[in-house]
Amino acid sequence: MNINKSNPLLLHPLNKWIKKKRWSWFPHQIETFYHVRTGSDVVVFAPTGAGKTLTGFINPIDDLIKLKKFKGLHTLYISPLKSLANDIVRNLEKPIKELDLNISFQVRTGDTTPYKKHKQKQKPPNILITTPESLALLNSYENAKEFFYNLKYIIIDEIHTFLDNKRADLLSLNIERLQTFSPNLQRIGLSATLKNKQDAKKWLCRKKPKIVSYENSVLPKIKILESKERIPWSGHMATYSINEIYKEIMKSKLTIIFVNTRAQAEYMFKNLWLINKKKLKIAVHHGSLEKNLRLKVENNLSKGLVDCVVATSSLELGLDYGDVEKIIQVGAPKGINRLLQRVGRSNHNLNTPSKAILVPTNRFEFIEAKAAIEEIKKNNLDKIDLKEGSFDVVAQHIFATACAGQFDINALYKEITKAYPYKKLKLNDFKQLINLIQDGGYVLKNYDQFKRIFQLRENKNIYKLVNRRETRKYRMNVGTIIENPMLKIKLGTKTLGNIEEVFIQNLSQGDSFIFAGQVLEFQSMKNNLVQVKRSKSLISKIPSYSGGRMPLSTNLANSVRALLSKSNMWVSYPEQITEWLKRQKKISKIPKKNQYLVEQFPRKKNFYTVIYTFAGWHANQTLGFLLLRGVKEFNYKPLGFVANDYAIVLWSLKEVKEIKTILNLGLLDKHLDNYLEETSIVKRLFRDNAIISCLIERRLPGMEKTGKQVLFSSDLIYTVLKKNEPDHILLKSSYEDAKKNMIDYDRLREILKKMHKKIVLKKLKSISPLAVPIILEINRENLSKKETDEYILEDLENEILKEANVLSIN
Amino acid sequence: MYYQLINFGDEEFYAYPNKSLYWKRLNTLIVSDLHIGKSISYAKNKQFLPPYDTKEILSELFVSLDKIKPSNLIIVGDLFHDFFSTLSLKDQDHKSLSQYMDYTDFIWIKGNHDKNIEIEGFKNCTNYEINKFLFTHIPIDTPLFQICGHYHPKVKIVHRGKTIFKTSFIHNEKIFILPSFGILTGGLDINSKEISDVLGKKNLSIYPVGQDKVYKL
Repeated sequence: MNINKSNPLLLHPLNKWIKKKRWSWFPHQIETFYHVRTGSDVVVFAPTGAGKTLTGFINPIDDLIKLKKFKGLHTLYISPLKSLANDIVRNLEKPIKELDLNISFQVRTGDTTPYKKHKQKQKPPNILITTPESLALLNSYENAKEFFYNLKYIIIDEIHTFLDNKRADLLSLNIERLQTFSPNLQRIGLSATLKNKQDAKKWLCRKKPKIVSYENSVLPKIKILESKERIPWSGHMATYSINEIYKEIMKSKLTIIFVNTRAQAEYMFKNLWLINKKKLKIAVHHGSLEKNLRLKVENNLSKGLVDCVVATSSLELGLDYGDVEKIIQVGAPKGINRLLQRVGRSNHNLNTPSKAILVPTNRFEFIEAKAAIEEIKKNNLDKIDLKEGSFDVVAQHIFATACAGQFDINALYKEITKAYPYKKLKLNDFKQLINLIQDGGYVLKNYDQFKRIFQLRENKNIYKLVNRRETRKYRMNVGTIIENPMLKIKLGTKTLGNIEEVFIQNLSQGDSFIFAGQVLEFQSMKNNLVQVKRSKSLISKIPSYSGGRMPLSTNLANSVRALLSKSNMWVSYPEQITEWLKRQKKISKIPKKNQYLVEQFPRKKNFYTVIYTFAGWHANQTLGFLLLRGVKEFNYKPLGFVANDYAIVLWSLKEVKEIKTILNLGLLDKHLDNYLEETSIVKRLFRDNAIISCLIERRLPGMEKTGKQVLFSSDLIYTVLKKNEPDHILLKSSYEDAKKNMIDYDRLREILKKMHKKIVLKKLKSISPLAVPIILEINRENLSKKETDEYILEDLENEILKEANVLSIN
Repeated sequence: MYYQLINFGDEEFYAYPNKSLYWKRLNTLIVSDLHIGKSISYAKNKQFLPPYDTKEILSELFVSLDKIKPSNLIIVGDLFHDFFSTLSLKDQDHKSLSQYMDYTDFIWIKGNHDKNIEIEGFKNCTNYEINKFLFTHIPIDTPLFQICGHYHPKVKIVHRGKTIFKTSFIHNEKIFILPSFGILTGGLDINSKEISDVLGKKNLSIYPVGQDKVYKL
């Protein structure tokens, strides 16, 4: 099709503005405009810088101008982040103001004042920009139907960030609600490039589904830092290369250094600061920092007032920071999509390549970095696995529905099962979730007189909220993001950010730690505020954040395996890496692409078994535990195991003989429940489930209940429930969550199925070069919480007894 | 059952991991803060905790009574969480309780939670004195040795970089505080002002309760 001649956008109200800017319409914008106008739901895939935001608004703006003085809400725009929502408003403002278009638009997030929110409800703007949580809240109001009945479009921005988590579940349920209110509603999704575009389409689209895709032909330029230093065997801090990283910062106008954890960010920042002889302006940015501090960094970044920002995924999404010249990724890339997203933060001009440097922090990461670069050249992206929706989110949605007014359970069930994640939701499970909201859903009917929702006598299918006061409780509990208990850090009267309560509990007065790039001394804790002062101490701790580990994508893991086996590539590696691999080949073996190498060797009186699965930490951690059980059954006296992204090492008193027999699917079926039980994985997830499903209340600022107590009581609830009602829907829900998210059940199953026949066993006299990194990681024992507690108590008691020079009475 | 020997007021007491205390010389079992039916009381506010706490608490109590067969059972307050919570006692529970009362004397001391609750067949009092010892829910000003409840003490232990909280028996020279025998009852840090005001900060003996053992710090 000849775009120039038949381009319908040349008549679009925004065409004048595009021309004035000397831009031209992108092909995907023309295509989207056409499909949406002819009644399709569309997902648009395009890289950053390709006018994605505008693409979403083309049809709504055209419509609104044609309709003239449309009254009420016409288009809803959903953004994954509050900060992004504000950027969208700024971007939308430019053309609308410059062309003097008669279109009103506003933002509504958790930061919007109650007064403004109230005004919005009375007089809605044409375009409302909001977040999934704010949408859920809007849907819980009694007049939600009147508010949305005329809605024409819903635009979901960065839809790829929504596809595989509970937020996606919540959003999908609320989109279906909007569709019920306004049956003509059309859906437009905006996404970064994805491998499984069809899945995103299935998730979002209902009416004549269409995919519009725009691929950037300019590939990013990514290389690995050439270091004269030794790349360490293990560790994650990249201290070895700090001087070289500093030189790279000096070479570019503006650099973002991405790291994988908040602790790494603080550490990297501190180390750069120590060698900052040229007085470069370096800043740090991560999710725990106070909002104002983050905004300041973001502002300086967009104005080019800094030379370098050290950041976590907190800077992955969002605003164009036009002048960023270079990205440095420190640590394993973990996934192709993630790396591309990060690399894409530099240089938003589509016609010139983004530039990035990868800094592996250990030897395996070098291979991983290399593999990632190869895959990006081939444009082989990661798949995002769509998951079945979680039960707890449905429970919350039922509560929200009840807040909006009485409802028919059959109609609600029908609506919920239209949402893609809940296509397979069973009626029986749904009814149990209704009961959960009604009175906890217990078999023992103790709470008949205290119900939260009740059935109407005249029609048993209609449920109603007992008391309007309950709506307040729902509104306090909305959302699917559960944070660990956090405490505010105060330096004088200034708030620096939030820190995990667990970390503070381990500090004594006078201890120093690094936060927000400063060395701080812990002074006191009062009313959930941590008072600190500046410290000159050189020895300081770095807060650890128990937040989720980034999983290694299956795609990248496979690529690492493939690359490792290509010995003809080794010549291009730094000598130390080549030597490492050559020695491995000589002493043991380099596994082929489809082989699973298992090495066994004696070391310091114990016997070691190393299995190279390349399955990612979650799956390996699970496999390690199952293996421990299996090996115990065969009476080889296992002592412990450690897992990382690539391998598992298990050590035992006796030589493990039938390793091939032990490593099979039976291992999973037989010991999985045990694993979930003993490692308290399900227990931790139960807490999230109990909060999301509104069984227990979320801790909010100002509530006197500390986070510790919430955790404590949800543990008790779990224990009591598990004992008395093991089939309760929330236990089932937590168990499903564990299978989906924490243990990589499907991936592990797949690997165990294949592995059986493909094991290459090497019996060695001593440790192999490939095994060194993982052996070095053996520093923690994998005891369950219960065991650890007992261990601590016993150890402490013994120490005290020893001190007192008496023997234990028991 | 494993127990920890505790000397208090020149008498020997056994502390059990199920949070009960036994005074062997007088064949007396002591428990505190059962908060029976707390779940029902929460349900009133639409917090639907599993309604099995009463069943669990009673069966644990009955296990102790069966094993020890004490002549006296002293409950140092807060047997019930509130008036609503008495609803969680089923007919069967009443029957079992009265059977135990046939050979054990139940001494129910009123706490702040259950001071206005009366139950048929249950004797109660505000405090109970025996041999220089006063049993009371909240300590009072007295020269006697006191055994009390109310505070649900738990101790924070920081050891080798790890922090844990454990329910504890705790006493100073004159005052002994029992942990809560209840299920969904939570705890209060022994360093909190409330507990320090009662016990002071010095010469404390602390006995954290582990899985199958009571420890001594």
